[in-house]
Amino acid sequence: MSEIMVQFDHVTKEFPGVKALNDVSFSIKRGELHALVGENGAGKSTLLNVLHGVYVPSGGRIVIDDTHVEFHAPIDALRFGISKVHQEINVVDVLSVGQNIVLGAEPLKGPAIDFRKMYREVDGILEKLGCQFRAADPIRGLSVGELQMIAIAKAVYHKAKVISFDEPTASLSDKEIEILFEKIEELKAQGLTIIYVSHKLDEIFRLADRISVLRDGRYVDTFKASDISRDELIRNMVGRDVSNYAQRAKALCATDEVLLSVEGLCGEGFQNISFTLRRGEILGVSGLVGAKRTEIMRALFGADHKTAGTIRFKGEEAVIHSPKQALKIGIGLVSENRKTEGFVKYMSNRQNMTLAALPGFCRAGGVMKRPDIAKSFEEYAQKVRLNITNPDHLTENLSGGNQQKVILAKWLMTNVEVIIFDEPTKGVDVGAKQEIYALMEEFVAQGNAIIMVSSELTEVIGMSDRALVVRDGEISACLNREELREETLLKHAMPERSA
Amino acid sequence: MKRFLKKSSRELAIVGLILAMAVIFTLIQPRFMQSSTFIDIIEQATINSFLGIGMTLAIITGGIDLSVGSIMAVVVCVCGMASVGGMNKFAVILLGLAVGAVIGFLNGFLIAKMKLQPFVATLGTEEALRGAAFMITGGWPVLSIPKDFRNILNAPSAIGGIRNFVFVMLVAAVIYSFILHRTKAGTYIYAIGANEEAAKLSGVSTDWYKILAYLLCGVGAALAGMVMLARLGAGEPSAGSGYELDAIAAAAIGGTSMAGGKGTIWGTIVGAIMLSTLKVGLVVIGMDTFVQYVAIGSVIIFAAYFDTLQAGITKAISAARKH
Repeated sequence: MSEIMVQFDHVTKEFPGVKALNDVSFSIKRGELHALVGENGAGKSTLLNVLHGVYVPSGGRIVIDDTHVEFHAPIDALRFGISKVHQEINVVDVLSVGQNIVLGAEPLKGPAIDFRKMYREVDGILEKLGCQFRAADPIRGLSVGELQMIAIAKAVYHKAKVISFDEPTASLSDKEIEILFEKIEELKAQGLTIIYVSHKLDEIFRLADRISVLRDGRYVDTFKASDISRDELIRNMVGRDVSNYAQRAKALCATDEVLLSVEGLCGEGFQNISFTLRRGEILGVSGLVGAKRTEIMRALFGADHKTAGTIRFKGEEAVIHSPKQALKIGIGLVSENRKTEGFVKYMSNRQNMTLAALPGFCRAGGVMKRPDIAKSFEEYAQKVRLNITNPDHLTENLSGGNQQKVILAKWLMTNVEVIIFDEPTKGVDVGAKQEIYALMEEFVAQGNAIIMVSSELTEVIGMSDRALVVRDGEISACLNREELREETLLKHAMPERSA
Repeated sequence: MKRFLKKSSRELAIVGLILAMAVIFTLIQPRFMQSSTFIDIIEQATINSFLGIGMTLAIITGGIDLSVGSIMAVVVCVCGMASVGGMNKFAVILLGLAVGAVIGFLNGFLIAKMKLQPFVATLGTEEALRGAAFMITGGWPVLSIPKDFRNILNAPSAIGGIRNFVFVMLVAAVIYSFILHRTKAGTYIYAIGANEEAAKLSGVSTDWYKILAYLLCGVGAALAGMVMLARLGAGEPSAGSGYELDAIAAAAIGGTSMAGGKGTIWGTIVGAIMLSTLKVGLVVIGMDTFVQYVAIGSVIIFAAYFDTLQAGITKAISAARKH
């Protein structure tokens, strides 16, 4: 039995146009608590997904317990003793606690489930974990913390050797967090190997034996938790050469004229959001995944419900209860999820590009003026430098960058004055990224304004005139361009304490 | 031309299939090859086509309308009684269209505004409307429908003696196809079915366009009901029972995706013609009634499998070209 439990050996995972993991090699010792840190998009979740068989790596290999493993599905990993406890626990809520725990490995008596044996075994595990509920109880009505205990019980039932925790405390109360940490310490004492992913550095320094840092899909280094300071760790997380492509090519053009102002916006998961947006400005919105940035923007755009707040557009109070009203006032939204919220499948570039501006292309009775549409398509395809100019080409078959251009053109056609970009270059290759940035600059240069939600710090720093930082549904900082530094943004984005 | 061939490949393939069936039927029974058979096929396909074009709209939005058979029955009873009661023949037709539109609106309202699942909502209205049809006539059939009303739809036309309703159907198909492809409403209906969220975020009032689709579906069913009334000269509250399934089959054969976002009016029409060719043909060659059901079912399954098959062939061809 060697000292190494999990070894990542030159693991690479490519998605079309993106290398999510690039030649990652490091090892996790038997019985240690190994933390994994990095910015959004550093590759932590992809690495866990590869470990758990959700993704098959495009290159490299994984050795667990001296065995070279090739998982093709999560069940393979589970059978091998690799369990996970993630932020959102998947349970089948029509089944009982016990049925959920044994799911996929039910004890059998002949062809039927041996319920008595199942309840006995599961109750034993739950008692050891100090849970108040038992195997026969229904899942419905349990708290997130209790669901997490179910996930841990499941790992124990499946005789896990390795358990990974991915942001386990994200939705727990202080008390639940304490209980969780106790259980994690107990599991470690029993000799299990634990991988722990979190943005909360306090938690990591409290629990971890060693810490590995990932950045941009690459492995940076591993440190002993006792040997490294918090500041030094953050430096390692962000310390890349600030890439040169996310930069303003033209002069800044922000004016003093306030185009949009938001006061005290509240909604599900966020409160008291106030900011102003000026003509000619790109306002960055930074923060960790889960800070509710997208939710704030969807509420502003009228796609989701808001509970309070005033929006003023050009000084006048604007009522926005639906995207239709937002569009009428002059606000567009380029969503983060192109496939589900951006373009329409089966539709051509021409149809997708004209979808929002369509009423303007119609005679009375809604009959479309097809020559006008064709003309506009050509004009805007050229404007956004869309390479595939065949109007009948389906948008779904384009690359991420070209899809983004089609969606951007859709809003440009409507003559909106504010565009909200949510992760404008997510899944876009480097060349197209540059073009998107250039189009954004052109847009503000014409006296319009942009709100740019981004998890890429370089993008926020390079492109923004000012930037807001959102933390747990509130604005934690509003920084001017000269104050924008990765450390500063991260400092305001990270929760202060582990609560 | 090339674009037409590519865009209509599905419809053309079905037409090919219909011709192949005609050849086979003729080989077995030469009597199949006569004009009366073709008129029969087209006339039989008409009611299903009226139901099918509306159904196609509902399915394109990602929904379904199981109530079309019952809408037919209500229209048959209302128009039948109005006509027997001496109402002006054109007023009767307007009344029928209005009844279909109102019921369709109701279906759409339940689905879009009250957020019921289309399957469940229209299953409910199907039952309720069937009951309503029986209540309207007190359970009795409506007999001896006046000739002048019947003649509007049922009289043989100057063109080969084909009855008027076939041309009404063609006009309706042209209008529905125009709505789908040439108006913003049509574009929105496709967008709702393929990606409702993206449509909503593009500023589309998705609820109202969904309601419009069901309303037009109701109008199609009303036309089907009136054609039935005109043809038979009598109406009964049990009319149209089970017809929704034929309409769904016609749409499916014609390439409408049950998941929404895809489908054409002309595909559904050729789908309906294919179904009636099969039904008439099997009778002409004297196939056993029970075996007819098996044959029709098999053809529906084959037509559905056709998509998978076509995709496989296209892939194989492009792979072969690469090598």
